[in-house]
Amino acid sequence: MSASDKEILLRVENLCQYFKSGSYENKAVDNVSFDIRKGEVFGLVGESGCGKTTTGRSIIKIYDITSGSIYFKGQRICAGTRSYRDAIKAARKELRSGADGERRKELEASISANREEIRKAKYDHKNADRLYAEKQVALVKEKYAKLLAESPNDAELKRRYKDELRVAKNTKLITQIQMIFQDPIASLDPRMTVREIISEGLVINGIRDREYIDEKVYEILKMVGLVREHAGRYPHEFSGGQRQRIGIARSVIMHPDLLIADEPISALDVSIQAQVINLMNELRDQLGLTILFIAHDLSVVKYFSDRIGVMYYGNMVEMADSDELFAHPMHPYTRSLLSAIPLPDPHSEKRRVRITYNALAAHDYSTDKPSFREIIPGHFVHCNDAEEAAYREEFGL
Amino acid sequence: MDTILDVRNLTVSFRTSGGTLKAVRDISFELERGKTLAIVGESGSGKSVTSKAILGILAGNSIIEGGEILYDGKDLLKISEEEMCTIRGNRISMIFQDPLSSLNPIVKIGRQITEAMLLKDRGNRQSAKKEFNRVLALIRENSSAALGAESSAKVQQLVKTFNDFNVEGTKMETAYNEARAVAETLISSAEDFLFLASKNQKLDIKGTLQTMGKKLGSVKNEFLTWGYDEQITALSRELFTARGKTPGKASEVPTPVVDAVRKMDELLRSICSAPKPDFFRIGYYKLKNPDADLHSMSIEQLNEEALAFLDSSFMLDFLEMEQRGAEYSFRTALERKKAVISELGAARETFRNGEIRRGSAKKAAAAAADLVEKSIDRMEIIKDSQAYTFRTALNDAIDRYCDAVKKNPKEEARFERQSRKRERLIARGKTVDWKVVPKVVYDLDDLRENIISCFDRLIAHYEEYIAAADSVDFRERSVGIIDYLKEKASQMVYRVTRAMAKEKAIELMEEVGIPEPRIRYNQYPFEFSGGMRQRIVIAIALAANPDILICDEPTTALDVTIQAQILELINSLKAQRNLSVIFITHDLGVVANMADDIAVMYAGKIIEYGTADDIFYDPRHPYTWALLSSMPDLDTKEKLEAIPGTPPNMIYPPEGDAFAPRNKYALQIDFEQQPPPFRVSPTHWAATWLLHPDAPHVDPPKIIVDRIERMTKKAGGEI
Repeated sequence: MSASDKEILLRVENLCQYFKSGSYENKAVDNVSFDIRKGEVFGLVGESGCGKTTTGRSIIKIYDITSGSIYFKGQRICAGTRSYRDAIKAARKELRSGADGERRKELEASISANREEIRKAKYDHKNADRLYAEKQVALVKEKYAKLLAESPNDAELKRRYKDELRVAKNTKLITQIQMIFQDPIASLDPRMTVREIISEGLVINGIRDREYIDEKVYEILKMVGLVREHAGRYPHEFSGGQRQRIGIARSVIMHPDLLIADEPISALDVSIQAQVINLMNELRDQLGLTILFIAHDLSVVKYFSDRIGVMYYGNMVEMADSDELFAHPMHPYTRSLLSAIPLPDPHSEKRRVRITYNALAAHDYSTDKPSFREIIPGHFVHCNDAEEAAYREEFGL
Repeated sequence: MDTILDVRNLTVSFRTSGGTLKAVRDISFELERGKTLAIVGESGSGKSVTSKAILGILAGNSIIEGGEILYDGKDLLKISEEEMCTIRGNRISMIFQDPLSSLNPIVKIGRQITEAMLLKDRGNRQSAKKEFNRVLALIRENSSAALGAESSAKVQQLVKTFNDFNVEGTKMETAYNEARAVAETLISSAEDFLFLASKNQKLDIKGTLQTMGKKLGSVKNEFLTWGYDEQITALSRELFTARGKTPGKASEVPTPVVDAVRKMDELLRSICSAPKPDFFRIGYYKLKNPDADLHSMSIEQLNEEALAFLDSSFMLDFLEMEQRGAEYSFRTALERKKAVISELGAARETFRNGEIRRGSAKKAAAAAADLVEKSIDRMEIIKDSQAYTFRTALNDAIDRYCDAVKKNPKEEARFERQSRKRERLIARGKTVDWKVVPKVVYDLDDLRENIISCFDRLIAHYEEYIAAADSVDFRERSVGIIDYLKEKASQMVYRVTRAMAKEKAIELMEEVGIPEPRIRYNQYPFEFSGGMRQRIVIAIALAANPDILICDEPTTALDVTIQAQILELINSLKAQRNLSVIFITHDLGVVANMADDIAVMYAGKIIEYGTADDIFYDPRHPYTWALLSSMPDLDTKEKLEAIPGTPPNMIYPPEGDAFAPRNKYALQIDFEQQPPPFRVSPTHWAATWLLHPDAPHVDPPKIIVDRIERMTKKAGGEI
């Protein structure tokens, strides 16, 4: 498998995202881990409320995550502290109940280690962008130091240096992750022209050159299949498909490395859906984008993604290459999901047997606790020992 | 197969600030009983407008330019709002796209389901009574005419007896129904009580027992508690003692109370599961033998006995008489039909050749319609829509013609004026940022043809009718009439109480697959998930037991798994209740499993029509190809064939095929002339010039050919 050789762009480790509602804690995402390699499309599927959108939003730091870490380009960009705090609490409790000797030392060591982890996590979570900006500034300084030394009186060069320095200072690592939202109507500000919407990211980044911005905007508009004249119009003057194109233009103008597409086509008409999918495919080839594709339409996910993760109630239950997943679905939830896909084939539709999935009836996790395991290389399933053995037997491993 | 809904040449426009928008342009289809018709198209193709026109809920700025929607002897486009109210929701129901916005957020689910049942209750009873009396009067009239003056007295006597014992029977039935309703309420409250008791919930034990004891007394009914009276008395005593023994502040329900309630539940259940007496027969039995001891037999025996008695002394005579009446009515109507055909032919000629003026034309139309109405066989239970709607259709066509005569010159003048103004401004070098609103001029010949076709259609229909006259089975027909009368009589006395409505609602909720309906009944819409909400909407739509269910994108807002569940639910309900379904969607994948027939709509027209197999395995129109190839299935690897561009602006509908500008297979003629429907097979047609014998041969896109090949292979040659 060639994809596995590629550099890992995004690594999500034990991501937990809990929301408090009253005294009850809603575990929207619970202990999800996956990697996305450079240049691939990773599809995330599941029914509504399973936490796939929350995962996307957590990655782009719309929420502060509860626990776990997210690494982007090797740099930790998000970190939660809950797991460390829980570990400290548990250790303290044991200490109070009267552990002694070796055990006591061990526990104390673990407490201080976890404290250190919390400090690190907080630091990374807060400073990832600043560290990246400092790196960028240093790069710019290095680049211009030589040039400025050669011709110290070049006013043009100085101006350029200043501009680039400002941009570098404003740069954030997180801007290299961009998001396309589900609803093309709600996600565009009705009082801004298309030019303002698309160029907003550049402006915030500190670019002040109007001509450069306009040039960029036109270039991107052309890329997504709109024309120059559209730049001066307002979102309401466009059809649904065109609005989604504007949303895509807004996200790709920052030249992101990772694009999070949160159900980008589910609000569109059939004929327009194909246009948007084709557009995203073209952009992927042109710009070398890596895409996290969140959707509930399985035919589209299968068509568009290289690897697919299936989520159920905040857990990742299965993850594999898309062909592999559709050929050998293992987890009963995946099977039920695949059995429900509507197909444009009356003959097979009339003979379709839908598998129903009942989480309580399907698994017995009372003693044997489940975890996320690799059954076949590249094919992970959330299961316990007994189930793992059953899967292995079923596929003759 | 009988057609339940017939849409003909429906044309709907909307008045907007930019001009009239042509949303639906001349579409026709038939819906057969027990079948599903899917209407597929993009947004703006007019599919929702069509469904709204059927229900009569079009927006205020809509103009119905023409066409008919025939249902049960009525043209839904031309009846009054009052009449529409008796059909909408009652006979034709609709499930809307968004389950959240079609439920009232501040009213409990149970109330929303029972609301319609309770509201329509009185109206239903009244209309059933009216219908019962009408049919009975028809029988009397026709039978006395058929049997001659001498037997007129006998006919009078028979009809009067029929009416009398029906009244007697229905009176008993009412009392029975009321007692039964009380029993059902008791069962439901007992069940609630037991459920809550098992969960250790707080309960008002004394109060509940008191109301139960009181209600138990009114369950007693001559027929319902047949032989159970003593047990009931004992039980109410038991409840009373259990109440006395309950301590004031009980933390949990004492066992004797639970036992008593459970006993009551079981007893009432066995009472309610007993066979229902046939009051229609017993009414007659009682009328004739007022002193007979009914209780000496079991209910089954009584039913048998009453039937034999009824048949021997009355029913056979009545049936005979009624059959003669029906035959007489049929024959007279047939004679009149034969006569009216030539009259209609003559009237048609005057319309074809003469000048049409509103006054005289209306007079002639009224005369023709009078004749037609006299030629209707009113004793037919399934109404002859064609004949019944002849008057409104003809009047409407004449109005359109006369309006066009008046308005056309005005419209021409306005167009002239505006174009001149625009040219003048342009000539002066000003920038003109407005367009001339295109003129709407009607072709008078077409409109005249419309008038004539009213006659043509009816004449053709009558000729068919006359040809089939010999094969009518009057025996079957008269039995049908009696069944109809019985149905109406029971509707007449079927009073829906709140408790009965609740039971019915809970039954419905179970039917649509909502777990624990008793708890769910008292919840608000926000406590339900999307799929559950859509089930509630379906339950509401089914509450009135409709003939036709219109589903407007019922699953678009839902997930795959829930979508599959809802589709299966609609399918199974359709089979159970013999529903006819109109299923509107933009997703062809959803339709494959649902539809018997599919109509593909684009820009307000049906461009391809066929069975599901026709559309999926042998699509002919380039738009259908485009729809099929723009969505990936699980084996798609190649680039998708997206449809370029957007649908046309329907204020300026294109001259030729509306899809031509987006169609890479378009021929020159597609831009110039509207393609007529070309038949591919008896069930399949498509409106594209590619099917014309002179057209070049074009293969569908590769992606579709491949897919069809794959599907055929998978099916193993069964297709």
